[in-house]
Amino acid sequence: MNTAAAQVREPRTTSRRRKMPAAGPLIGFVVLLAVTVAMLAPLWFMVSTSLKTTKEMLAFPPTFIPETFAWSNFKELFTNSDIKFGQQYANSLIVAVFSVLGTVISSSLVAFGFARYRARGSGLLFLLMLSTMMLPYPAIMIPQFLLFTNIGLHDSLLPLILPNFFGSAYIIFLLKQFFSTMPNELYDAGRIDGSNEFRLFWNLTLPLAGPALATVSIFTFIWSWNDLLTPVLYLDSQENFTLPIGMAAMMSSKFRLAPWNLLMAAALLSSLPIITLFAVAQRRFVEGIVLTGIK
Amino acid sequence: MNKKWLTAATGFALVTVVAGTACSSGSGDGGSKTVTITHYTIDSPDRTFVEKLIPDFEAKHPNIKIKVTKAPYEQFDSKLQSAIAGKKAPDVTSHWGYGGFMEYYNKGMLMDLTQLLQDDGFSAGDYNIPENVMDIYKVDGKTYGIPLNSYVTVMLYNKDLFDKAGLTYPPTDYEDKSWTFDKMVDYAKKMTVHSNNLAEAQYGVDFGWGERDQRVQYFGADVYSEDTWTNGGKPSKVNLDQPAVIDAYKKIYGLIHDQKVAPTPAFSKSVSGQFGDPFLSGKIGMSVVGSWSLAASSEFNFKVGVAAVPQGPNPNVRSVLYVDPLFILKDSKHPKEALEWIKYLITTEVQEKSIELSGGNPPVNQKAAEKYYGSFEGIEPAQIKQVYDGAYKYGFESYNHLIDNYSQINELFINELGPVENGDKKPEEVLPTIQEKLTKLLERFRQSK
Repeated sequence: MNTAAAQVREPRTTSRRRKMPAAGPLIGFVVLLAVTVAMLAPLWFMVSTSLKTTKEMLAFPPTFIPETFAWSNFKELFTNSDIKFGQQYANSLIVAVFSVLGTVISSSLVAFGFARYRARGSGLLFLLMLSTMMLPYPAIMIPQFLLFTNIGLHDSLLPLILPNFFGSAYIIFLLKQFFSTMPNELYDAGRIDGSNEFRLFWNLTLPLAGPALATVSIFTFIWSWNDLLTPVLYLDSQENFTLPIGMAAMMSSKFRLAPWNLLMAAALLSSLPIITLFAVAQRRFVEGIVLTGIK
Repeated sequence: MNKKWLTAATGFALVTVVAGTACSSGSGDGGSKTVTITHYTIDSPDRTFVEKLIPDFEAKHPNIKIKVTKAPYEQFDSKLQSAIAGKKAPDVTSHWGYGGFMEYYNKGMLMDLTQLLQDDGFSAGDYNIPENVMDIYKVDGKTYGIPLNSYVTVMLYNKDLFDKAGLTYPPTDYEDKSWTFDKMVDYAKKMTVHSNNLAEAQYGVDFGWGERDQRVQYFGADVYSEDTWTNGGKPSKVNLDQPAVIDAYKKIYGLIHDQKVAPTPAFSKSVSGQFGDPFLSGKIGMSVVGSWSLAASSEFNFKVGVAAVPQGPNPNVRSVLYVDPLFILKDSKHPKEALEWIKYLITTEVQEKSIELSGGNPPVNQKAAEKYYGSFEGIEPAQIKQVYDGAYKYGFESYNHLIDNYSQINELFINELGPVENGDKKPEEVLPTIQEKLTKLLERFRQSK
C-alpha cells in the first residue's frame, strides 16, 4: 500500500519540481513584457500621431489607432515647399557621415599615439587635452563663429564638419583606454613581421578595435544628428538647413498650432538612420567581442 | 624642420587672409550698385511669409535686394547675438525671441531712427498708424522701432460648452459694465466639472492675462515702481510686499486652488502637452489669451466665440497690447534702404495682403485692420472690431517690451511661482522670496551697467 502510494506520489513531486522553475521565467516574462510595453508606448504614439489628420490630432481623449490613416502626412513632408524635408535630411546625413569619419580618423590616430608611445610630457599633454572637455560649447561659440566667418565658410556645412577632423577629447579618451589594453606582444610580433608604425595602427589596432569604433561612431553620429545650436548659428539659407532646424521650426510659432502629425512623421523618419546604425554597429560590436576573445 | 613649419604657417595665414578679403570685397562691390538688406525672423509661416513679398518689392526697388534669414523661436536670440558679434548682423529684425525691446535698446543694438525718419519725411499717419502706438517704441523722444503688427488680449470662449451649460454668450463691448470678473467666475463655476476621469473633467476659465508679473495689473496693482515706464525699463523698487499685489496673486491663483474653476498645470499638460494651450482640447469654457490664438480658430474641434475681457478691479487696464515693431540694427550699413523695406511692409496694400499670407497677423495699419476683422470663419467681423477697439482703449503695452533684461526676470517668476501654480505653496509664502531675489537681480543689472 505504502509503496503503491509512494509510486502514485512520485510523479506528482516531479511535476511540482517541473512547475517550480517555470514560475520564475513566467514572472520575468510578464515584467519584461510590461516594461517593453511602457518603453514602446511613446514610439507607438509617435507612429499613431504621424498618421492622424489635424482634427484627430487635437481630439480628446486621444485615439490610439487613427480612424483614417493619413499617409499624406509623409507625402506632405517631401512635397510642401515650406518644409523642404528631403533637402534637410540629405544635409543632416552629409554632416553626420563626414563628422563620424573625421572624428574616428583623427581621434583614433591621436589616441593611438597617447596609448602606445611614451614621450616626455605626454602625460601632461593628455591632461591638457582632457581639460578642454571642461570648456562648454557656448564658451567657444563666438570665437569659433568669428574664425569660420572670417575664412568665408559662413552659411555652408563645412563649419559643422571641419572641427571633427581635429579630434574630440572625449572620444580620444575612450579610444586611448581601449588601445592601452592591447598586449605589447601583438605589436612586437607585428614589428618582427616588418610592419611600420602606421601599419601597426591601420592593419592591427583598428581591426581589433571594432567595439570601441562602433561605440564612438554611434556617439558621434547621434551628437551630430541631434545638434541644433551649431547649425542654427552658421546656416542662413534654407537649402543648407539640417533636420533639427527644420523640426524646431515646425514648433517655433507661438501664433499657430504646431503640426504635431507632420512633426511625428518627421521624427519617425529621422530616427531611422540611428536605428539602422545601431543595428549595423551592434553586429560589429559582437564581432569585435569575438575577435578580442580569440586573441 | 623649423623652416618647413614656418612656410606651412605662412601659407595657411595667407590662405586665410585671401579668403577673408575675398569675402568682404565681394559684398563691398555689391554695395555700390545693388544693396542687399537682410531681414532676420523666426522660422514660422506667420513670419517667413515676407519671402513671398520680395519679388514685388524688388520689382519696385531695383537697387535693393532682400535676403531673409531665419532661426527657430528658441534659438532666435543666440543666432542674433552671435551674428552681431561676428559682424554679420542683419539689417532689419524685431524682438521675436525671448528678449524684448528694452533689452535690445539697453544693449545698444538698435539704431536711432529719428533723423532717418525726419530726412525721409516719414509720417505715421500716412500708414494709418495711431500716434500712441508709434510712441511705444520711443525713448526720450527718439524713435527706435516702427510698429508692424498689433496683438491684444482677448477672451475666447467655447460656444459648445456655453450652450451645454445654458449660459448666454459674453459681450464684445468693453463698455458693457455688467460683464465683470466676478460674473466670469460665476459662469466658470457653472461650466466646471470636477472628475478624476480626464475625459469628463472640464474647467470654466483659463486666465492667461499677460505674463505672471504683469497679471496683477488687471487687479489694480503693479509689481514695479512707477519710474519703470519712464526711465528705460529699470524698476527702482519692487512691490511684491505690498498688500495690493499679494491680494492680486491670491485672486489669480485662487481661481485654480480655491474656486477650482481654472485648470491646474497638471491638467493642462495632460490634455495639451508641455507647451500646448488647453483651450484647444475643448475642455475649457473661457480663455483669456493673446489674439494670436485666433489665427488657429478654424482648426478648433468646437465653435469658438470672441468676447471682451471682463471689467476687473482696475478700470483703466483690461488688455495687454503686444505691438510688434521692426528695428534697424545699429550695425546696418544701409539704413535708408532698410527703411524703404519697412515702409513697404506697412503700406495698406501690403498689410492687407499679409493678413492672408501670414494666416491672420493683425496689421498695425488701421485701414488694413478692417480687412483683418473679417478674416475669421464663424466670427462676426463687427465683433472682432469691437473687441479690438476696446482692447486698444483699455490696453497697456506688454511688460516684455518695456522692461530691461525681461527674459531673466520672467524666468524668475516662472520658476518661483511654479509651486503656487501646482498648489504646493500659497502665494504669500513665495512672494517674499521673489521680492528678495528680484531686488538682488535688479541690483546686479544696475551694477553691470
